[in-house]
Amino acid sequence: MESLGDTTLAALNLLLSGNPELWEIIAISFRVSGVAILVATPPALLAAFLLTYKRFPGRRLLISLNSTFLSVPAVVIGLTFFILLSRQGPLGEWKLLFTQTAMVLGQIALAFPILVAMGHSALQASDVRAWETARTLGANPARALLTIMREARFGLMAALLAAFGRIIAEVGASMMLGGNILHYTRNIPTAIALESSKGEFAQGIALGLVLLTLAFSLNTLLQHIQGKGHPAT
Amino acid sequence: MSDSVILHVSDLNKRFGRREVLSGIELALQAGECILLSGANGAGKTTLLRILAGLEKPDNSQITVAADSPRSWRRCRKELHQRVLYLHQQPYMFDGSVRYNLGYALPTGLKRPIRNRMIDAALDWAGLHYLHDTPAKSLSGGERQRVSLARAWLRDPKILLLDEPTANLDQEARERTLDLLKSFKEQGISLLLASHDPLHFSSLIDRHLHLYEGRLVMIEDSKLMSIAATQADGSLRSTA
Repeated sequence: MESLGDTTLAALNLLLSGNPELWEIIAISFRVSGVAILVATPPALLAAFLLTYKRFPGRRLLISLNSTFLSVPAVVIGLTFFILLSRQGPLGEWKLLFTQTAMVLGQIALAFPILVAMGHSALQASDVRAWETARTLGANPARALLTIMREARFGLMAALLAAFGRIIAEVGASMMLGGNILHYTRNIPTAIALESSKGEFAQGIALGLVLLTLAFSLNTLLQHIQGKGHPAT
Repeated sequence: MSDSVILHVSDLNKRFGRREVLSGIELALQAGECILLSGANGAGKTTLLRILAGLEKPDNSQITVAADSPRSWRRCRKELHQRVLYLHQQPYMFDGSVRYNLGYALPTGLKRPIRNRMIDAALDWAGLHYLHDTPAKSLSGGERQRVSLARAWLRDPKILLLDEPTANLDQEARERTLDLLKSFKEQGISLLLASHDPLHFSSLIDRHLHLYEGRLVMIEDSKLMSIAATQADGSLRSTA
């Protein structure tokens, strides 16, 4: 077995040499998770807004339910959608199992509660006068909603980055719903799991480095954005 | 109802839990009129203003906007948003420059040159030109108040509701705010302002209403003058 240093060097070599198979896996990961976050964000932020600004029966129950979904393991989400999408399942006719669409569905289900919970916190922390000022200055509800999103943008951006970081690195749902098919549904975490099980650590470490770089970039970006929002005095 | 009445409220009630804050409120606001609303802390002044601005739901009420027929608050809420502008005791500034904040009050489809001209006019009106690119969140209380009045001026409402517009301001800022409010009145905009300080607004107000135990009580001019005299007397004694 090669040393960790040799394996890491081999991993860097794979990445820098532009290995097509490796970069295809990375592209699939970003495409699937990017679509999932794009689809999940608008309804999740709307839900966060309703939970923050509207008073209706069952509101507290919904907040508790959403918080519960935060701690559901990815593999349970994967299993639920697997049952729904399998041939005998209620959505079996859609023939989505082992497709990128199924992976997107699973990742939406994972990202949604994170976006709602963190979005709710961000909006709760913002000043209620922002909404009222917008409305009294003649903004219709849609414009007022965009205004408060803008006011809470740093917190909302943090929610977005946290949700993206979570879904691009999850393995359970992607493995069950995508099936880890090369050139089609194999993404970074499922590829790492497969290569590691075969003892091929170089590709696993290369993909792990991509995830680490992504996590570092997202955190740096977040720090930068938050720094802009709250300049040191 | 007289033709000059632009807002008429009757049978307005509001409870918070078991506490009745507003009870059978009846109020008619004439075009260009300025009413001062006084009352102890927690008397319901802010609640009344927020209801009239369409921001808080009353338990029940009949509201007539302009010469329309009386309707429930829910049914005329949109009209209230269009005609009535409410200024918080501590005005909220959106994250951005003073210019951005003023521009918010303008219709979104307006062309940029017209928009800029209107914002410049508002900056002139409120004497804020020197602050136009300043982040609005960094402004002092008095400057915020003037920006919020300039925003209101751009919005051109029929009725302006002000919640303690001069609270926590120094004398100079209070005088400037008063001057801007007089300018609104001269333009025919009706003002309903909640304040603990009737003396300060005596040159502006036409009527003085007092909220007491959830009901509106009219205070006569002579009574107002006597309150003013008592206050002046008190302040003289305290400085002596």
